Amino acid sequence: MSAITLQHLVKRFGAFTALKSMDLAIADGEFIALLGPSGCGKSTTMNIIAGMETPSEGRILFGERDMAGVPMGRRGVGFVFQNYAIFTHMSVRRNLDYGLRMTGRPAKEIARRTSAMAELLGLTDLLDRPAQGLSVNILQRLAIGRSAVMEPAIFLLDEPLSNVDAAFRAVMRTELKSLQRQFKQTMVYVTHDQLEAMTMADRIAVMDHGVLQQVGTPLEVYNTPANTFVARFIGSPGMNLFTGTLTTTSAGLAVDLGPLGISPPLALAQAAAAQQAKGAVIYGFRPEEVGLAPPSEPAFDLPLSLTERIGARTILHLGTPQAEVRAVFQSGTAIPEGLLRLAPAPAAVRLFDAGTGTALLVA
Amino acid sequence: MAEISFRNVSKRFGTTQAVDNASFTIADNEFFCLFGPPLSGKSTVLRLILGLETPDEGEVLIDGRVVNHIGPAARNIAMVFQNLALFPHMTAEQNVRFPLVERREPEARIKARVADAASKLHISHILHKHPGQLSGGERQRVAIARALVRDPAAYLMDDPISALDARLREEARVELKRMQREAGRTLVYVTHDQEEAMSVADRMAIFEHGAIRQIGTPDALYDQPTSAYVARLLGAPVMNILPMGANVITAPARPGAAHLGLRPEDLTVTPQPGAAATVTGVEPLGGYTVLTIAAAGETLRAMLRGQPAFATGTPVSLSAAPARLHFFGPDGTRLAG
Repeated sequence: MSAITLQHLVKRFGAFTALKSMDLAIADGEFIALLGPSGCGKSTTMNIIAGMETPSEGRILFGERDMAGVPMGRRGVGFVFQNYAIFTHMSVRRNLDYGLRMTGRPAKEIARRTSAMAELLGLTDLLDRPAQGLSVNILQRLAIGRSAVMEPAIFLLDEPLSNVDAAFRAVMRTELKSLQRQFKQTMVYVTHDQLEAMTMADRIAVMDHGVLQQVGTPLEVYNTPANTFVARFIGSPGMNLFTGTLTTTSAGLAVDLGPLGISPPLALAQAAAAQQAKGAVIYGFRPEEVGLAPPSEPAFDLPLSLTERIGARTILHLGTPQAEVRAVFQSGTAIPEGLLRLAPAPAAVRLFDAGTGTALLVA
Repeated sequence: MAEISFRNVSKRFGTTQAVDNASFTIADNEFFCLFGPPLSGKSTVLRLILGLETPDEGEVLIDGRVVNHIGPAARNIAMVFQNLALFPHMTAEQNVRFPLVERREPEARIKARVADAASKLHISHILHKHPGQLSGGERQRVAIARALVRDPAAYLMDDPISALDARLREEARVELKRMQREAGRTLVYVTHDQEEAMSVADRMAIFEHGAIRQIGTPDALYDQPTSAYVARLLGAPVMNILPMGANVITAPARPGAAHLGLRPEDLTVTPQPGAAATVTGVEPLGGYTVLTIAAAGETLRAMLRGQPAFATGTPVSLSAAPARLHFFGPDGTRLAG
């Protein structure tokens, strides 16, 4: 059984609390991403699972078994770090089969598993080359292979792709996902890159300041973020968020957003959710979910300040420095000059409590 | 004021041809990006502009003047390195002042220039801090402010934001673009991230093995790449390139074409029972969805808007507007038209 359960995990380093009561159940064979900015506690969580750190409070279970006091080498986990530790004086093959040789597997099995892993990771032609002089990309791929060849039931990866170049990162995302599909390990993947998490993970655990903010499938955290932190961290760019107060217009309940003006009237579900708010609300919408509005319909009038055309997508930066709005359009969409009239799709509007940042849930 | 030109510049290190007969002109005030895989010659071009290397052949010109034998100090070009190279024992302000103090500028002028650069880069409130107390993004801005105070004719940046978190990188690139617009000046920029390059650059030069394969605006390079090499360097997921006659999609015959190129966003995917192509992977990314599709022994990626409900195993038919198809000859050259 390689389910992982974290119960009330706390980790303090002196006066600094890196992890504040973390609870998380990771299913056997699940690919989970721990996602958050630098210092959010994601690496600390992983190090505790690996056995490199001892929790100040709380428990870790693998299946039913408490891991307290079980040293790293006995936990049966494989890991890969940002800085691959490849033996540069050895060949690719010797690096790849290192663990299998150390555990005294029969030569036939070592050869079979090593060549299968080399094939999977495209290292076959390099097997007899010395590791020294290989590119960063290949070395990181080798580091992954060296761990994966041991077929650990639990595989931990801490930002394994942050040193490789962007083009190669895209290739490796696909490879890691298919590796996990093939071996069905429980995979815990630490990253600050929401795209990596969205692309690969079955579920994403979003963390900030040592606190787990939300756990959900990629679409759950994208569509129904639990709070403004998740709303902003997920998505590229993140959700547009503006503080305002509820106001009644002739067309129904809306939000007065100060410098941005009054929002288009809220849809029924959003208006009902808004009633839970005590005072100010935060009005949010995703950059992908805005459209150009005809003059007859309520919308935001926004000056365009910068355009980024990135291949298939064009990101518009609109509004003023006090109230910046980002909108994503398909490249090739005709964008008028001057002021743009933009409105979010009514069902796409998300509301949050301005005091706590917590989502006001749409029933 | 700086226009930077290369005329048939070559540079070798031992047997390695680092730069191979490069010719281009970077206009005054242009944001010019050097882009290509690792070791394709981008950083050597920066060093040649800066004066840290001398060309073996050809000429480097700044504002029409050959500078092959003019040292870095006399070129008045500022460099922001990948590792930022801030002095850790100095405050942000002392770091920013440093180039002017070195030049023995009068104190009043130093104060004015530091204040100006600090306000342009929004770092006035953190000038008293040491680099160790600053976030990655703040350190970045301090390093750029230090380059800016010198009032250089041009500045060069070698992958300056690659060390930041993904989210900060998206913000930093927009800031860089705004800063360059406001401050003016020619900016030559090296990155290995295609998204970042397309976001910031007025024009880009695409490198392969030390040679420039294509120069143009990001739009022109993306929409009219001259080769399959350039086509596949820009865009994520990368362009699908299929052998002609692969029987994946209906395409008009094109004499001389060996390969057909299809951007993932240009593919139309329609569920159709009994169709020959099959969805083998679904990546819902929120604003868009990437499908992996197996068709006639080929693997394709398609990028669809929004969150369409596709399941693995669904048979689908594929189509694309004829105007969005790219044709490549046997050597990878894109056929015009």
